[in-house]
Amino acid sequence: MIVCQALRYRYPAAGALVLQDLSFSVAAGEFVLLAGASGSGKSTLCRLLNGLIPHLHGGEIGGVLSVAGQDPRVTPPHQMSHVVGLLLQRPDVQCLATTVARDIAFGPAGQGQDRDAIVRRVRETAEWLEIVHLLGRAPHTLSGGEQQRVALAGVLAMQPRLLVLDEPFAFLDAAGAAQLRVLLRRLRDAGVTLIVAEHRIEQLADLADRMLVLDRGRLVADGSPDQIMTGDIAAWGLEAVDGPLSAPPQPSAATGATVMGWEAVEFAREGRPVLRGVTLKVAAGEAVAVLGANGAGKSTLLRHGNGLLRPQRGAVRVSGQTIDRRPVAELARTVGLVMQQPARMLFAPTVRDELAAGPRALQRHDPAWCARLSERFGLDSLLDRPPQLLSAGEQRRVAIAAVLAGRPRALLLDEPTAGQDARARAILRDLLAECAREGLAILVATHHLAWAHALCPRWAVLCEGRIAADAPPAEVLARPELLHRARLAVSVGTA
Amino acid sequence: MEPSRPESPAALFEPSGRFDPRAKLIAFLFGFGWTLLATQIAALLLLDAAALAAVALLRAGRPWRRVLLLLWPTLLMFAIIVGFSAGATAAAGAILRLLALVTISVLFFATTPPEQLGESLLASGMSPQAVFLLEGTLRFTPAMALLVREVKEAQESRGIRLDGFYLLRNGAALLAPLLADVMRFADDLAEALDARGFGGPRRTPLGDYRFKARDWALVASLLAVTLTPLALSRFYPAFSIQGW
Repeated sequence: MIVCQALRYRYPAAGALVLQDLSFSVAAGEFVLLAGASGSGKSTLCRLLNGLIPHLHGGEIGGVLSVAGQDPRVTPPHQMSHVVGLLLQRPDVQCLATTVARDIAFGPAGQGQDRDAIVRRVRETAEWLEIVHLLGRAPHTLSGGEQQRVALAGVLAMQPRLLVLDEPFAFLDAAGAAQLRVLLRRLRDAGVTLIVAEHRIEQLADLADRMLVLDRGRLVADGSPDQIMTGDIAAWGLEAVDGPLSAPPQPSAATGATVMGWEAVEFAREGRPVLRGVTLKVAAGEAVAVLGANGAGKSTLLRHGNGLLRPQRGAVRVSGQTIDRRPVAELARTVGLVMQQPARMLFAPTVRDELAAGPRALQRHDPAWCARLSERFGLDSLLDRPPQLLSAGEQRRVAIAAVLAGRPRALLLDEPTAGQDARARAILRDLLAECAREGLAILVATHHLAWAHALCPRWAVLCEGRIAADAPPAEVLARPELLHRARLAVSVGTA
Repeated sequence: MEPSRPESPAALFEPSGRFDPRAKLIAFLFGFGWTLLATQIAALLLLDAAALAAVALLRAGRPWRRVLLLLWPTLLMFAIIVGFSAGATAAAGAILRLLALVTISVLFFATTPPEQLGESLLASGMSPQAVFLLEGTLRFTPAMALLVREVKEAQESRGIRLDGFYLLRNGAALLAPLLADVMRFADDLAEALDARGFGGPRRTPLGDYRFKARDWALVASLLAVTLTPLALSRFYPAFSIQGW
């Protein structure tokens, strides 16, 4: 299916080669896990396979590349798409139509199939991915995980022989990830060749026939996942599978007064109830994880915390006072929110200016504190670089440091591990643990249970708009019916 | 997991509304033309009244109010400028004309889903690329608005105010990430389109779009309303079209 010999690639106007002397072949029907740290070249290789590189991105390619007998360098992507299905990282941008049904139909319609065949294909694909109930919905109203499934449906509807998925697990909840694993197994059984680039290798190590590891553009390992995972994979920025869960940290001795409080908060969007009487408190020095399925209302809960959303019933208290109509920018003095897409928070010409911008607006700029944050978050070497040009992991660290620069008493984080490699996740976990020890109240919405297990001594499980459990991780993990109901009922992997 | 509610894709692809989107497009263009050609206040008042009656009839009051809430400062400013430079009558005329144009546009876009308009044009032989250009513009406008809102919220969460006067002072905090995000969005969209097979010579319309008798009747009546007075004024000079 794929033949790749001495393949090398350089982006236009970039100095270094992104891929260097890659040689491998993939047989039809193989399931290949493509692993590697951020920036190792996984996404670039995915784009080469269906011709997005060089047709869209240009650049300099050397070596031999053949996919299903075609050379993606000369075959236009729309022709390659008949053979190669590519699911990209950001699901929101891949939803191209106004309804889910139309979105799934986009590819087959572009292939010129007749209307009856398209309708059949849409129905079958929606049933496969269990998204029939979403067919009439607008993609932009769906949660990240739902959008991911819709985007995958759009690719599968074209019935490609080779399916390339770039970080498909990044936005999925545990049950969604389990569904995707089942689907991938079925696709493999159906003879579809699969290449899956993924940071969360624990999701695929037992499914894939083969694992390729890229490190700084070079192929450093090629073999069965079992064989590779027994080696020193941490050196490539990967983490082990099936190890024991890290012990959760003990509740901090510094835990103090309640900083954030949600009291019987109710909120509905477009007539759908999202939060139904949510009550939750976070004290100084506490790190609390909010867990729940895609669309369970985690982001909505967080956005109530800093006033971006106001409760339709109930109250939100910050430092004991209800937020009422206080402006978000004023609440930012006490509560910082780091969003799922940190790039949207970054605007200054340099990281140094970025760290100073928030505190200046709040009139509490303290250069010594900014310098300390810069050092702690490993930003010293990046201080003069434009934040928009940093890697996703670096941007995340800058965004958190920029929020902390305003000295808030509480920090809300929305899916901070999405798209982050193991090394970046570990760094982030350690930094947040340190902040909690110093008295910061932290509330983090995440799908990554293992990561949450290592950081948060308390878990709040959001299920159908209610807090179904608020307890230490061990207690939550001991309740299988709750885990199942909250779509968390799968192996949590390792930290 | 949400309970599964079976939806038929075929039903979701069928055109909605009484008229074909192309007939509505023609009506929209006629309305636009009449408004631009109207010269008298009375004629503009008549057009506004007709458009507002249609808004009420088609229950498009909510989107109309929403658009007007956004546009009224611009309309007011426009009226003041025209009023100072050309007098009160010209200002009233300009406002009425703008109001009619906005109302007609809201009527059209509120009752015509972009994908149905695109597909009906596709069924008429327009190229898939041109159709997507039109659809995409309409489809991604809300996405861009959402992007603006999210960037604004992200900055306000950091204590950087972007409301009222603060927008002038802290505008860079909105513009820089917005520009970067829009460029990223455009890049990602281009990739997604290519990956989904966009760019081929054919695209099947998902619905069955045919001009029916009522569509022809609508177009014929629009033509009649436009051409009859013109013909009368040409052959019977005593008859003049007041206001146009």
